[in-house]
Amino acid sequence: MGANISQLERDIGSEQFPCNEHYFGLVNFGNTCYSNSVLQALYFCKPFRDKVLEYKAKNKRTKETLLTCLADLFHSIATQKKKVGSIAPKKFIARLRKEKEEFDNYMQQDAHEFLNFLINHISEIILAERQQNSTTNNIKSKAAGENGTTHTSPEPTWVHEIFQGILTSETRRGLFDLQVDIEQNTSITHCLRCFSNTETLCSDNKFKCDNCSSYQEAQKRMRVKKLPMILALHLKRFKYMEQYNRHIKVSHRVVFPLELRLFNTSDDALNPDRLYDLVAVVIHCGSGPNRGHYISIVKSHGFWLLFDDDQVDKIDASTIEDFYGLTADTQKSSETGYILFYQSRESL
Amino acid sequence: MANLKPGSQNTRKKVQVSMVICEAEEKRHRSGVNALQLDPALDRLYSAGRDSIIRVYEHERFLHGMEHHTDWVNDIVLCCGGRHLISASSDTTVKVWNAHKGFCMSTLRTHKDYVKALAYAKDREQVASAGLDKSIYLWDINTLTALTASNNTVTTSSLIGSKESIYSLAMNPSGSIIVSGSTEKALRLWDPRTCAKLFKLKGHADNVKALVVSRDGTLCLSGSSDGSIKLWNLGNQRNILTIRVHTDSVWALLATESFSHVISGGRDKKVIMTDLKNTSNSVVVCVEEAPVLKMCFTADQQAVWVSTSDSNIRCWKLPTDKHFKDEAKMPTTPVSLIPGGAAIRQAVVLNDKRHILTKDAQENVAVYDVLRARKVEDLGQVNFQEELKNRFKMVYVPNWFNVDLKTGMLTIHLGQDEVDCFSAWVSARDAGIRDTPEPDHKVNYGKLLLQALFEHWRGVETDPENRLYFMKLGGRTLYRVLVGDTSGDTENALLNETVPNWVISNIIEENCTNKFIKVQFYLQPHSSVPSHLLKQDRLKKPDRLVANDFIQCRKVAEHILEKLLGDGTASSPGGGDADSSTPSNNGYNVDQIELTCNEQVLDPSMDLRTVKHFIWKSSSDLTLYYKIINK
Repeated sequence: MGANISQLERDIGSEQFPCNEHYFGLVNFGNTCYSNSVLQALYFCKPFRDKVLEYKAKNKRTKETLLTCLADLFHSIATQKKKVGSIAPKKFIARLRKEKEEFDNYMQQDAHEFLNFLINHISEIILAERQQNSTTNNIKSKAAGENGTTHTSPEPTWVHEIFQGILTSETRRGLFDLQVDIEQNTSITHCLRCFSNTETLCSDNKFKCDNCSSYQEAQKRMRVKKLPMILALHLKRFKYMEQYNRHIKVSHRVVFPLELRLFNTSDDALNPDRLYDLVAVVIHCGSGPNRGHYISIVKSHGFWLLFDDDQVDKIDASTIEDFYGLTADTQKSSETGYILFYQSRESL
Repeated sequence: MANLKPGSQNTRKKVQVSMVICEAEEKRHRSGVNALQLDPALDRLYSAGRDSIIRVYEHERFLHGMEHHTDWVNDIVLCCGGRHLISASSDTTVKVWNAHKGFCMSTLRTHKDYVKALAYAKDREQVASAGLDKSIYLWDINTLTALTASNNTVTTSSLIGSKESIYSLAMNPSGSIIVSGSTEKALRLWDPRTCAKLFKLKGHADNVKALVVSRDGTLCLSGSSDGSIKLWNLGNQRNILTIRVHTDSVWALLATESFSHVISGGRDKKVIMTDLKNTSNSVVVCVEEAPVLKMCFTADQQAVWVSTSDSNIRCWKLPTDKHFKDEAKMPTTPVSLIPGGAAIRQAVVLNDKRHILTKDAQENVAVYDVLRARKVEDLGQVNFQEELKNRFKMVYVPNWFNVDLKTGMLTIHLGQDEVDCFSAWVSARDAGIRDTPEPDHKVNYGKLLLQALFEHWRGVETDPENRLYFMKLGGRTLYRVLVGDTSGDTENALLNETVPNWVISNIIEENCTNKFIKVQFYLQPHSSVPSHLLKQDRLKKPDRLVANDFIQCRKVAEHILEKLLGDGTASSPGGGDADSSTPSNNGYNVDQIELTCNEQVLDPSMDLRTVKHFIWKSSSDLTLYYKIINK
């Protein structure tokens, strides 16, 4: 392992090695690569890393939460004396297993489910802490209002500011990532176009008409109204197959560009021309959702790195093509891009 | 009743029980009227619509209602010289009725989604049904009317090839051609005699919602949500004419016998008659008060009955040559009117989870009592929001039913989705039940209602109410019956098969599967409480307590007095009934214990679920503080 680490430093070159940057692998505690790959990708989403470190600096000693564990982990990476190496995210994993029953075992988990949980959970923690800080001031005014059912939507947290985009259809929805269906031999742009195709709400999925109080068929078209700072695209590679009664991996080749512009924006979108750069990819290796392995590739200071648990390697940008997927459906196992993190150029 | 096979369907989904709260006789349509048919021989008008009831008017007077559908009736066809009526509904069934006597003869459950349209070939006594499941089925009416309880299987031919939901259907009297209109924005044609697919006609830019075919089957008129009406030559498969007289979707069409004129109605509320030989020649027949859904000719073809998404049905005179030549003005009032009733448009369940405040289409506000299944107060045209505010009570009772307004009447669903029908426990006193051993005795709303609904079935003698109920399974109705009829022999046998187990186990067998709902909470002493009084070290993490959600704060105070401040062993309040009358040996009484939550003082009569919902306002465990005050 030691030889490998120094190999990374050799590959980058001491002259080129960015100052104030650390490339640390994360030790696997038995099938925790789903978490390691996502944490690495998030660490290299700069706006996110900065906010987590800022949180660490501001919150000196509070109750342990998943966010404090994450902040401690990021802080520990960022303050290492050595440039490269590996670190054991022991406290984080222990906390995660306490927080969510589904993760409290040694099974392989879905990296997207983990990302989704983590982001939502962090924003809940921030909201709860914010509420706690303001409770003392608010109590009297609350007690005075008899009905006490004030519906004020909470101020967005920095998690919202970074990840939240707004989709518009019949009803507006705010969400942290876009989940896109994929087709063989296509590109992300094509998949996003399909995502925004007109959909008919029918059979069990009818639309409730306000006028006649009954469920009727309706047409829906999803478009992006607010473009997020970091666009997390989840490629739906695990498809439920009724005939097998389980999820099957879809290894279709889907090209994802280094630069991306969204075309499925609504007419009243706030920032429709945002240009995105690919900054990190969580890759699934193997044949199914509950088996195989997760790794991630990230872009840092102009070059690409591959994080495979505690191993870190510099890779050539051309290697990214290897993770597009397979054109033939014969092979079961594949190494494919699963969650793509695009960062808006304005925030770079 | 034919075709009732409750056991054979998907059993994974829970069967729910639904009840419609309505009058003994619902003489007026409550909501939009989707379908009209005329029997000229008896001068009867049949109308059906969103309130699920088919109504019969003889000489424009209400004769009777035909109730059996449980959702919107979308289309009706009068056949066999007026003896039978076929209906198509969003409850996914097609029903066959004895039109003269007004009862349902059989139910066809072949469709898997809303049945939207029917078409009738008079010469062959054949009817076709189509809907959102993309299917078209052909039925031989003589076979349908011969169905009995024991002989309830019927074969049908289906017309295949449709790719999307079908909203309109038409056949010519000889049954040589059938046309369907759908969200495919195209017309599809078949030969019903051979079921052979013929061709497809493209040209509309949106859903095709109305169709008429000429007697000889050579011409067809189509009305679309794109706002246009098109005339098609079916011989050479060409679009001959496109008529744009409406400013919005066209939803209803009629053609004169000779196909010389078309009468159209739609979303712009207008009914317009257009000369097909010169389409610039059109006359507005009337402007309705709501979007036009259906039209039918009077016996002499000199006027049309028009129904809308409002509940009134009006008859309007049709223009004559004079009107087309602009030599006379059209009358602005209808020839006659069959007044409709008002649909309930808004319903808010009050906090007691027993009363519902409603507002109807005519702005009338009323109060319904779900437990008694009837209207209890008519408030007239008052401000709904104001009334809601006035009736606000700070009590919290868990949800135990869902309300649905699609028929314009209140439908109460029990056992639907995630709502636990047996979650609402209230004291007999609060429920207004007098003959009970003790006023604090707890009753369960869901159980009380179900017992009342099924009492006839169980042979308990009470007044025969006319409330209705029916069961659903994944959205499909299994069985529907009048509450007062449940003791009948046939009904009884069918009920024994259909009443879901969750109902039986809770109302018949008195085993208490419905458990009290628990609240978990912490009790913390206020800093003013002298530490020598406390049995426990206040720095120690408090124990988590569990109590029934309807326990009042007074009971909690008693617990504090006896277990936390006095001698004794800690247990949860309300678990065992502590005797509240004995003064405690620590010298304080219950009135001196003040409970607070989020720094708000709690009334001793407030229950824990109300504290949690209105004051704690969080799903996490409740924390209550207590202190001793001097009184």
